[in-house]
Amino acid sequence: MKQLSRGAFALPGTSLDFKTGTWRNEMPVHNHFGAPCHVACPAGEDAQAYIAKLMEGHEKEAWEILVSANPLPATTARVCPHFCEQACNRKHMDQPIAIHLIERYLGDEAIKHNWAYPLDAKKSDGEPVCVVGAGPAGLSAAYHLRRLGHPVTLIDALPEPGGLLRTAIPVTRLPRDVLDAEIGRLLKLGITFKPRTALGRDVRLEDLLAQHAYVFLAPGAAKSRHWSVDGAVPGDLREGLGLLKEWLIVGDIPKPKSVAIHGGGNTAVDLARVMKRAGVAEVHVITASGLPGPDADPKDVLNVVPREFDQAVEEGIVFHAHRTIQRLLMRGSKLVGLEMVHLKKLPGAGGRSSRVAFEGTETVLHVEMVVPAIGEVVDGTGFESLLGQADYFRADPLGQITASDRVLVGGDARGDRGTVTAAIGDGRLAAATIHAKLTGEALPDPKRRPFIGYDKLNVNYFEPSPRAEEAMLPVGKRTDTDEIEGGLTRAQVTHEIGRCFSCGNCLACDNCWTLCPDNAVIKTQERAKDGSHYVFDYEYCKGCGLCAHECPSGYIIMTPD
Amino acid sequence: MDSTKLKQEIQERRRQAQSAPSESMPVEHNMAELRKLQPRYRGLEAGHRACQGCGEALAARLVTEAAGPDVILTNATGCLEVFTTPWPQSAWRLPWIHSLFENSAAIASGVEAALKAQGRKTKVIAQGGDGGTFDIGFQALSGMLERQHNILYVCYDNEAYMNTGIQRSGSTPHAAMTTTSPPGKERMGKRHLKKDLLSIIAAHHIPYAASASVAYPADIRRKVRRAVSIEGPTFLLIHSPCPLGWGIDSEISIEVARLAVQTGLFPVVELERGELTGVMPIRHPRPVADYLKLQNRFKHLFTDDPRAREEREHLQALADHNIEIYQLKGDGMDALDTDGADTVRRGGMVD
Repeated sequence: MKQLSRGAFALPGTSLDFKTGTWRNEMPVHNHFGAPCHVACPAGEDAQAYIAKLMEGHEKEAWEILVSANPLPATTARVCPHFCEQACNRKHMDQPIAIHLIERYLGDEAIKHNWAYPLDAKKSDGEPVCVVGAGPAGLSAAYHLRRLGHPVTLIDALPEPGGLLRTAIPVTRLPRDVLDAEIGRLLKLGITFKPRTALGRDVRLEDLLAQHAYVFLAPGAAKSRHWSVDGAVPGDLREGLGLLKEWLIVGDIPKPKSVAIHGGGNTAVDLARVMKRAGVAEVHVITASGLPGPDADPKDVLNVVPREFDQAVEEGIVFHAHRTIQRLLMRGSKLVGLEMVHLKKLPGAGGRSSRVAFEGTETVLHVEMVVPAIGEVVDGTGFESLLGQADYFRADPLGQITASDRVLVGGDARGDRGTVTAAIGDGRLAAATIHAKLTGEALPDPKRRPFIGYDKLNVNYFEPSPRAEEAMLPVGKRTDTDEIEGGLTRAQVTHEIGRCFSCGNCLACDNCWTLCPDNAVIKTQERAKDGSHYVFDYEYCKGCGLCAHECPSGYIIMTPD
Repeated sequence: MDSTKLKQEIQERRRQAQSAPSESMPVEHNMAELRKLQPRYRGLEAGHRACQGCGEALAARLVTEAAGPDVILTNATGCLEVFTTPWPQSAWRLPWIHSLFENSAAIASGVEAALKAQGRKTKVIAQGGDGGTFDIGFQALSGMLERQHNILYVCYDNEAYMNTGIQRSGSTPHAAMTTTSPPGKERMGKRHLKKDLLSIIAAHHIPYAASASVAYPADIRRKVRRAVSIEGPTFLLIHSPCPLGWGIDSEISIEVARLAVQTGLFPVVELERGELTGVMPIRHPRPVADYLKLQNRFKHLFTDDPRAREEREHLQALADHNIEIYQLKGDGMDALDTDGADTVRRGGMVD
């Protein structure tokens, strides 16, 4: 063969023979950080994951991701304060994603199409577990125990399951057909449900422990706290949760000309709205907390769903924030008014905070009725030996208590909870803990993962876009029976999921693939090992860091090679 | 997150991934096979010797990707020529020819004439850096445009002679430091202004001349497709950061390129037959200092020297002038403005 000089002719050679990867001292890797919505959810819902699945057009699979953590999404979408949205990184650009409306859409679609939970209802190779209380915590525990294959007996003192979802939440917030559909679907998973079975009355804890490997206690907090003002109590005093329950079951509510409700939780606000609609002209809510607002300290605001508060104000409820009742004005045993005073929770000596009332800020409110709604404590009937003299259980994050190693506790019976979503999370963790103890596996880790902040995203690649607004009944058309908030249309859901930043996880946007100057990011059709659709070709990657810096979602980080 | 912990976590995950391939995920990818399956045309392949974070390598990759396989390339002397073709290898998967610094356009003219004589429709793309285009190859380029050859000329503009060691070129911006325009007692970096090459090109009355930036890949693709579809001479000027020559970290070269556009210092425009027919509007004009302070070549503009302030204001005035004469100031949100043109979505960029 004739050899040509090197200047005129090159043998066919490719630069692929030259591995520029040897130049590198830092390498890009995919790292799935926690998304704020996921980390913030007490039930453990990964909103980012189901939004991604929904974006791919797989509605049922998206719902399956959702119910892998929370079996009652159509319910929580309606009653939860949405910690996910409060944490959403999108709030730093315009408004948070309306995650609860996406959750509601999926939950409602599942009911409409009668989707089945992704689990084998016949699988029963585990150990029998008894769940006491068919409220959110108990239902969640029963569901997750069934997912893990354990036979479950669920007992409740009331004739119907649901706990306070049924007895304390107005149908205007949570229609009963939604609740019935979700609970009915759940109970069909091979759960033995025994209604009208009260612990201490119909069954004894010892018997339950004899028949089951573990007992999960989720009795809720149903006993009213004693309430008085310096010992004074009106003769006809009724307590808030009791009134609300009576209204839900019997449909009857007292109708004085004016009422003051003392408390800062959902019971106080729900009751206020019910009484207002029933025709009570003046409804006041007196609370030691502050009101929600842009400058409010999140630890010092009403413990209600923020939009419930907005709707209550819309409907004409008067809120007295940072106030307490100092004295009742009585004529005989009949209330004619009360004296309020400003107060605030302030840090005192020794780090303990205490409530300080401010002299000179007293005002008189003329009302015919006062209703305390200051929270409830656990009714220990049937498990006095475990609860002792305490108002609530003290349990570790997994629900384990020191008084028994075969009883776990969750939901409102723990003093440190207070939302349906937290109760559902308790049920899930307790089920996982019981399963781990039975199988000898490692206990679940309840610690919240760190999540990725707004500053770690590259928001140059996102556009401002307004949040989808749900339909809402106008004040004049609100009744005691119709749901006030509506859901989103499919088109609105599509818009809303398109706003997701996909914080800390691959958005599959092609940016790394497009911007690599060295052709060292390779796109794959099947999912790569880390779940994304891109792999780094480290034979050629020079480690410039462009892909990491320009990743919109913060999914790529540079690490020493 | 604690970085050592993170590192351990990543190492652990990598170990796990290597030891136990899970069923749902594929086992180790065959990268060479996967490379062949890429759903895009690969004109410029990996293994080239460009520096880390090279804007020019990225720009050339995007141009060849969009132009497709039926193309013959010519190249002026410069980084692109050197880093893609160290004998006996080539990073190009296209016919490619280089002769001298000054004659990329002239060679392209000859190739195009030969193809025309053969009756072939293969597109010719001539390439050069700013040195080979603004200065040394300018005469050949002007001739190519004047003779109406059916060629797209692409100039990768990194604003100095980077290949030979960062000497000033006709494209180097005012006040920038290069090895031949050092700041000191006499002056604050380059004394003269950046040559307004696009206006000179447009004065040849050619059908299409445009500028683009590597920060907006979709815009580059669109302009390349547009240009190669035109029968006649077309010209594309692509702003391509040089981490080494500009004194920036390799990972921010896109960010710097984006800021050049958003400040108005590098206007992204389209000219047809000499007339302005399109601009990329700037949604939120940024102060030039945001762009300058990231780069070592403008470091002397952030000293106590009173001339530093003056030159910063001068550059701001030049940016304002660009915004004014090209009417770059946007009017509200626009999907194709400086904030909208790089928007990403799940499922990849659609353009």
